Amino acid sequence: MSEDTWTSSKKKSLLDPRTKLLLIFVEAVLVLATTGGEHLFWFRVVFAMLPFLLLLTAKRYKTCFIGLLVLGVIYFLEYTVFPYVNGAIAGILLIIIMIINRFLPAYLMGVYVMGSTTVSEFKAAMDKLYVPDALTIPMCVMFRLFPTIKEENDSIRAAMKMRGIRFCGRKAGKMLEYRVVPMITCTAKIGEELSASALTRGLGKEKKRTNICHIGFGWADIVIFLLVAATLVYWILGVFA
Amino acid sequence: MSKQESGNKLNGRDFINIGIYTAIYFVIAMALAMTGLIPIFLILLSSMIGIIGGIPFMLFLTKVKKPGMLLIMSLIMGILMFVTGMTWMPIPFSILTGIIAELVYRSGGYKSMKAAILTAGAFPLWSCGNYLPLFLQREQYFADRTSYGQEYIDAVMKFTPNWMFFVLLIATFVCGIIGGFLGKALLKKHFERAGIV
Repeated sequence: MSEDTWTSSKKKSLLDPRTKLLLIFVEAVLVLATTGGEHLFWFRVVFAMLPFLLLLTAKRYKTCFIGLLVLGVIYFLEYTVFPYVNGAIAGILLIIIMIINRFLPAYLMGVYVMGSTTVSEFKAAMDKLYVPDALTIPMCVMFRLFPTIKEENDSIRAAMKMRGIRFCGRKAGKMLEYRVVPMITCTAKIGEELSASALTRGLGKEKKRTNICHIGFGWADIVIFLLVAATLVYWILGVFA
Repeated sequence: MSKQESGNKLNGRDFINIGIYTAIYFVIAMALAMTGLIPIFLILLSSMIGIIGGIPFMLFLTKVKKPGMLLIMSLIMGILMFVTGMTWMPIPFSILTGIIAELVYRSGGYKSMKAAILTAGAFPLWSCGNYLPLFLQREQYFADRTSYGQEYIDAVMKFTPNWMFFVLLIATFVCGIIGGFLGKALLKKHFERAGIV
């Protein structure tokens, strides 16, 4: 089997890309948008803890540890410092606590999904879900470009700092022209190269492309599905009760 | 590009272009959204997206030569807003505004600069979709955010009576046009020189 030599070299991640998409969906609805309110509180806790477990399975111990540390500090602040302050400080503290409580799990889930899914796997999953290329390809390109944009932005920031163009510097007003414009220029150039390389691999053809990635559901996916189904059932029961 | 005459069907290159510019646009929108924690900035958010986002958007418009590209970009922004926790409402709304932007740019034959600036005004309207839950599900929206503190809620409440949504739409449109002019100026000053256009 020649295919095995391709797939075996890659570390297969625990979950199917489709399950990961479902998880992102659930995080967005349940944790970020807090659908269901107090009724689903415990499910929310479970789904907030899930990213940490998944990061462990992906061997991203450092990210997991930092995430837990931040969460710990936040809970520490919430229960020890918060009751004793008032006024503006309390307001600011509360907002910080809320934002981190809400965004950290979803952010970590994003980190896990982006870190453990290759672009090919993502494409294969979207093809199996019958999502048209018009949506899949731009999204693949986007996920490919985010790290690049960050890298370019860091370099530009370093270069412009030397010239005094930064948030608190003398020329903060020129930020837009000297920070945003180079970022766009760099990204557009890189994008063009990317586009050329993708076209040489036959992306421009009308024919259906094949994908070497084999994706399929395993036991972990079933566990996640059951969990999501349980949440859904519990939520619906709560709505009609 | 030399193979302009390949019909009106979108090909791989177009999809990649959409991806590139949506990525830039999304990064800028997210950077601006971070300021939305201050109550008044939440309301200004869509306008700021109009102005700053106008720069990459005008550049994107120079690449748009076929119908559908603006709609796809708008839809992707809507989906990303859903994923970042703005409920499902931005998705249909972004489809609607995407179609409007598409029609505006189409009226200029996909190359007129005047239509491009109007499109730069119409496109950022998708970001108003983020406000829809604030207006349509007011009780629920604030019930979820009680922990932000009463002061935050009061501040947001004060600035958002229901007619405010239409004010926001108009403000976003105007700011989008400003962003369009800004983008056009920068296009001339920087991007044409750098040979990207």
